[in-house]
Amino acid sequence: MRLNVVLRYVGIILLVIALFMLLSAGVSYANNIDSGFYPLLLSSLLTALLGAFPLIFVDRVEQFSSKEGYCIVVSSWILACFVGMFPYLIWGGEFTPINAWFESVSGYTTTGASILVDIEALPRGILFWRACSTWLGGVGVVMFALLILPSLGTNKAMLTNVELSPMAKHNYHYKATMIAQILLLIYVGLTLCSTLGLKLAGMNWFDALTHAMSTVATSGLGTKNTSIAYFDSVAVEFVLIVTMLLASLHFGVIYATITGQRNNIFRSEVTRCYFAIVAIVIVCVTLSLYFGETYKTLPEAFRHASFQVVSLISTTGFATADTNLWTPVAIVLLLAVSIICGCAGSTSGGIKVDRFLLAIKTLRLRFSLQQHPNAVMRVRIDGNVLEDKVVNTAIAFIVAYFFALFAGTVIGTVCGVDIETSFTAAIACMGNVGPGFGEVNSMGNYAGLPVVVKFSSTLLMLLGRLEIFGLVQLFFLKWWK
Amino acid sequence: MTKRLFYSPDILYLCTIITHRTMKGIRKRVLVSFLSVVFLLFFAGLVSLFELRRVSSDTEEILRASERNLELAKEMLDAAALQNKAVVHNIVFEQQGYDTVLRASINRMAQTMEIVREEALDQTYLDSLSSAVTDVQRLTQKYIRIQANRMSAKTIRLHLPADSDSVHRVIPMNFDGARWYAETYSKAYDKLTGSIKDYMISTQSSLAPQTEQLKRNAYRSVTPVLISLMVMIAIVVMLYYFISAYLTRPLLTMNKALGDYLRFGLPFKVKAECRDEAAELKERIGEVIQSAKKAKAEQR
Repeated sequence: MRLNVVLRYVGIILLVIALFMLLSAGVSYANNIDSGFYPLLLSSLLTALLGAFPLIFVDRVEQFSSKEGYCIVVSSWILACFVGMFPYLIWGGEFTPINAWFESVSGYTTTGASILVDIEALPRGILFWRACSTWLGGVGVVMFALLILPSLGTNKAMLTNVELSPMAKHNYHYKATMIAQILLLIYVGLTLCSTLGLKLAGMNWFDALTHAMSTVATSGLGTKNTSIAYFDSVAVEFVLIVTMLLASLHFGVIYATITGQRNNIFRSEVTRCYFAIVAIVIVCVTLSLYFGETYKTLPEAFRHASFQVVSLISTTGFATADTNLWTPVAIVLLLAVSIICGCAGSTSGGIKVDRFLLAIKTLRLRFSLQQHPNAVMRVRIDGNVLEDKVVNTAIAFIVAYFFALFAGTVIGTVCGVDIETSFTAAIACMGNVGPGFGEVNSMGNYAGLPVVVKFSSTLLMLLGRLEIFGLVQLFFLKWWK
Repeated sequence: MTKRLFYSPDILYLCTIITHRTMKGIRKRVLVSFLSVVFLLFFAGLVSLFELRRVSSDTEEILRASERNLELAKEMLDAAALQNKAVVHNIVFEQQGYDTVLRASINRMAQTMEIVREEALDQTYLDSLSSAVTDVQRLTQKYIRIQANRMSAKTIRLHLPADSDSVHRVIPMNFDGARWYAETYSKAYDKLTGSIKDYMISTQSSLAPQTEQLKRNAYRSVTPVLISLMVMIAIVVMLYYFISAYLTRPLLTMNKALGDYLRFGLPFKVKAECRDEAAELKERIGEVIQSAKKAKAEQR
């Protein structure tokens, strides 16, 4: 492991982050130099200095190993979260060190959970920085660097392999450079279309842009204390539902649909399964809310149910209603979709529909093999036979995922948090969803949780975002040799 | 390369190219590193100075507001006391010279009230204060009018018969100044002084959030300095690592390899991490060894 090489490339990523901080300072400047200007400028300068320093010593390398690639990606995420808390810390207000760390990790990992009681008290510069951090995190900080840095050359493939979810790679049939370009195209395109849609739906330009950035990243960090309920607009909700659905699909599949290729949205088995889950859960939640008398009319129940279901399954976490007051059936269904989440290759977190489908098919296969012990059967998705290694890794991921959820719940309850809050907060953080139930409900926040729980929640967010194994690997000393 | 550089829109790429072109020499690298540390130190100092000045100005502002509040309260109390003194002198001793003092104190109170209205930090008690001032002013002005009427009545009475009804109708000749003072004026006066005290206390209390803000500002003033120092520590650690990796370690390795060659004739094999003077030194030592080997071979 060449530490100097890792430092050099992590430094480049820090420079990219510094650039976005400077952009946010620009927003602050345009907004009559609000109170966020000075913290953002200062943070940008310090981050740039920290990032540029290794470039003085370390020359560009032609090739680095997979270990170095892993180390660059994981270190970049952790350091991005670390420097991302600088503007919050310097600005002050509700941001204590742990709160700033929580907000930064929540932003980069696109969780969208917040410790802020009064979001509207933040200056526009800081609000824009929150949106930028989440937008950068949505596409992946390293992937973003790959998109804008031609100097990385052949190392792009290595970093792309590490940054992309293993499940996502199956749907990409392109070179690393092409994958990065597709990501950029879809990501920026969706952001622009969503901004325009939200503007037309009645938001102002600033709210439209920040909400679009947050939605495309499936983060859910808004600019209002009452999230989307503040706007109380069907048009805004419709635009957001469409954007959330698209952002939680495999970007490669969206690209294939646009370019008229065969592996498009309508043919992809995973996408069809995803839409089926969304439709079934919406219908069930709507009926539950209507017959449970949470809402008086069916259209009203459908409006809130569809928004909340799409918001949680896409791991965005925006809210139009206080889901704490919903029926137990609706709550259980919402928790279930918070675990399954969107498709691999999208910006959403969680187990992902691909793995869920694979687990269901593996279970079915196991039952079939019990009935026909001598049969030769394999798991297939989209007609392709999956290797045992892929299946085993997916199953191991699901097991590790639930183990992490259990650990998160135990830490919460040990620290005196009630079981409902602990469990749902663990689900919400691990799946990068944001809102849970209990104290951390859709209209609440994480401000009241103990410091240890806030910290463990940030670890869960990073674990979920880096798909567990990436982060865990970093802590094995043997791996460093 | 020039063409690629010219067409590349990527500023970071440009920066990388520049650092590659210029950061070849050890001296330059060390110089830039130390300059970075110096800059950061200077920057931390500057931020600290700037933030401390801000905290200092905030503190000064709070103290000034508190002082001004006390000044205004004192001014109002003085004006009220003067007015009271003048009323007492006028009623008890019937000293007409105090009329001017009475009018002056009314003006003084009105002016001070105007300033208080403009500068008040807390508007809560302003209405009750304003109403108390108005009451006292109204009473005082009424008293001045009565006094003036009594004076003119005295003058008229000198020219009219004493039992003229018109005089009694216009001027209440049975006006009991002492009773009026005790029953009406002193109550209004007490209310006024009470309101002034309330105003003083409320303004002092309204400074409490500012003091709280000051505490937050003090935290804010320390945070950037702490972050700057943290970044500086990270940079110093990196500098130590890089100097060790690019300067100390190659020199020690070359020294050991050269010693092994000279003592035991082992081959001089040193791995160069970068293309700088250390790498050149390694190559030159290699050349010297090669030429020495060649010369030995020729001698044989």
